[in-house]
Amino acid sequence: MRRFAPWLCAGLALFAAGTMAEHAWRGVRPQIPEIGRKQLEPTLGQGVLLGILGGLRTVVADLTWIRSYVLWERRDRAGCEALMRAACALDPHSRYFWENTGYAVGFDLAHWEIRRRGGYAKVPAETQDRLFKAYARRGIEILEEGRGHAKVSTPLVLCAAQLAEIKLKDHRLAASYYQTAAEAPDAPWYAARICAQTLWEDGRREEAYRWLRQYWTTRMLPKEDGFPDDLQRLRMMEDVLGVRAGLRIPRQAWEN
Amino acid sequence: MTAAISVRHLTKDFRVGLRGLKLRAVDDVSLEIPRGQVYGLLGPNGCGKSTTLKIVLGLVSATAGEVSILGCPSATPEARRRTGFLPEAPYFHKFLTGRELVRYCAQLSGVPSADVAAAVEDALGLAAMTDAADRPIGTYSKGMLQRIGFAQAVVHDPELVILDEPTAGVDPVGSAAIGRMIHAMRGKGKTIVLCSHLLGQVEQVCDRVAIMDRGKLVLEGRVDDVLSRRDRHVLTVESMSPAAREAAEATLAAHGAVVTSVTHPRRSLEDLFRELVTGSRDA
Amino acid sequence: MQASFQRVSWIARVTFLEAVRQRFFAFLLILGAAMALSSVSFRVLDFGHGELKFIADFGFGGMFLFGSVLAVVMTAQLFFSEMDNRTALTLLAKPLGRGEFLLGKFAGAWAVLGVFVAVLAGLLGAVLWAREQELLLLAEQAGKVPPTFSAAGLAQFALLQWLRLGVVASIVLAISAVARTFLYAVVVGALAVVAGQLQWIAQDAILKPSESPAYEAVLWCTSRLLPNLQQFNIGDALVLGTTGVPADAVGAVAMAGAAYMAAYVFLGALLFKRREI
Repeated sequence: MRRFAPWLCAGLALFAAGTMAEHAWRGVRPQIPEIGRKQLEPTLGQGVLLGILGGLRTVVADLTWIRSYVLWERRDRAGCEALMRAACALDPHSRYFWENTGYAVGFDLAHWEIRRRGGYAKVPAETQDRLFKAYARRGIEILEEGRGHAKVSTPLVLCAAQLAEIKLKDHRLAASYYQTAAEAPDAPWYAARICAQTLWEDGRREEAYRWLRQYWTTRMLPKEDGFPDDLQRLRMMEDVLGVRAGLRIPRQAWEN
Repeated sequence: MTAAISVRHLTKDFRVGLRGLKLRAVDDVSLEIPRGQVYGLLGPNGCGKSTTLKIVLGLVSATAGEVSILGCPSATPEARRRTGFLPEAPYFHKFLTGRELVRYCAQLSGVPSADVAAAVEDALGLAAMTDAADRPIGTYSKGMLQRIGFAQAVVHDPELVILDEPTAGVDPVGSAAIGRMIHAMRGKGKTIVLCSHLLGQVEQVCDRVAIMDRGKLVLEGRVDDVLSRRDRHVLTVESMSPAAREAAEATLAAHGAVVTSVTHPRRSLEDLFRELVTGSRDA
Repeated sequence: MQASFQRVSWIARVTFLEAVRQRFFAFLLILGAAMALSSVSFRVLDFGHGELKFIADFGFGGMFLFGSVLAVVMTAQLFFSEMDNRTALTLLAKPLGRGEFLLGKFAGAWAVLGVFVAVLAGLLGAVLWAREQELLLLAEQAGKVPPTFSAAGLAQFALLQWLRLGVVASIVLAISAVARTFLYAVVVGALAVVAGQLQWIAQDAILKPSESPAYEAVLWCTSRLLPNLQQFNIGDALVLGTTGVPADAVGAVAMAGAAYMAAYVFLGALLFKRREI
């Protein structure tokens, strides 16, 4: 027994250290960006492993992104997407990678696929439409994933809104994304305008008016110039919807 | 008084190859090395003498048998504290000076801090290395390396000094210097174990010898006893004329003695070399 | 106890002196320093991470990459130089325990790694500070919030990296204690570093409920025997203060690192005791 005692002690020491490490890991885990292992698998043999190992994640992510440009130039659909997804997985806090991957997948890849199949003249319109929608949905999925990781997510929501509007022709979904973007603290003003416009074009005119009025009253009016262009837009909506005089937005002193 | 080293039925097997075949390096060796003597352990390369010494020093574990140093079980810090060791072809950190090395070894050997400086100077003096002590070891010749190795082995004033091939690769002058160091240690009452296959040197400095072959001890005893032939005699005569020689041979024949050869005595080449080059050495 | 500590410190001192004289150490130190200093020139390759993050990542990468190579190769080399040159014969024939010898080698190697990390962290801090000052001016002119970095966070990160390299060095020493050749120790040590960097995958899996108890048991054992080296990799949070790290979390990581070092040095000493020299 005495012979094995030191070995037992060594084993216990390792287990004690392991238990302490597990406890420590729970404490620091939120500080370490998640690595999307599935997204990295296709590119592991291309230097990406170094990024996974730690230390150089940002640099390797940048280099991976640069390499994706080469494949973008060659219109290599699978390779380009794999490298872009790898860059996102290596540095998931980066808004830039998610946004541009979403754009590239959602807008560009369908065109490459159509060209690969013989061009716009040869591929039937229905197929083209199906491809545009399929890639747009993939782009939106990527952007949704990015929203969970990136520190700044409003540009990702705006990108998803554009894909929904332009490629999916889904105005309801686009309006929902624009609305989410517009309500974010770092939202650009145009998000609210496009949101209202999309709702309007989707036939939800009263909803568009109510929403933009609420937004203008709470977020635009308190600003220095009161956003006269948006008020003018609201007046146009009131006219079209036939809002009674007493229910309209009160006239502003500076209004023409 | 207990023996300096006591080895009883020592056996060492090494496992070689993937199949773990046994190679017996030391085969049931028993010997007692008395204190205060210079003891030579002889044998050809691969006979097991270095393995025996490594087991004595606790660097290699024995498969069977018992070893004690100065009454303590070998491989204990107490036994090693009382032992000094110079390995074969010693190599030391080249960036240290000789003095730094000896001080480093003194500290590792447990010399009290207050005594380190004096112990280092004594050891350097004994090894005749005081003048070169502040040079980096990387600049030392082979002989100087052996001497600084000797200094590090004796710096803590051990009762037992084990020297493994101390003169391997050293010129005769350097060998003679090491021989003088061994004599000096014996003069202080230390026990020295000399492991060598240079028989001439062992014959000159050792009181007792043991010869090993293929892992076994084949001979052990006092040097004079094992080398002398009791049935033969040597007379060394100066100024002998041919007539005197004839008369002497006749007298010896009358007593039944047979003169087998009459030659002129020769000095050894080593003696001649040392006589000629002493004073120009850098060793 | 005091005598034992003195013997360990003497072995560590000579090991340190031997290591810092090696060209390999100087080479990696220069490479790491060049990487930290050149990060400013490479910032054109950055894609919107923020300049300080990009520069910091270069420095962290140098510490991780070259530090790992140094910890694996130098530690194995320091051990095998004693074995192959047979200086270990001379030392271990003295009243020096094998555990003391191994601990001394570890302490010497770890001290060298400390110098390496301190130099690189110092350089990185200087580069970050210089660029921060420039960005402060630009941000002031543009009326934006300037990016900043935390020098105290960098010091904490450097300490964690030193601990991480210490864990690697202790693993390599334990491997060296049984390895017959330098190459074997380096290859297995490098694999251990890669496995340690990826070990968090096993630990993350444990944190999620699993359907197979056997699978969970294997992961549980793996996650305890092999250290999770990724947990030392919290430079972004510490230095750039993007999310902030609770002080007790940093302390827990440091304690876990120290515990692993002690456990592996102890294991190495046990293995080394059985080694025939």
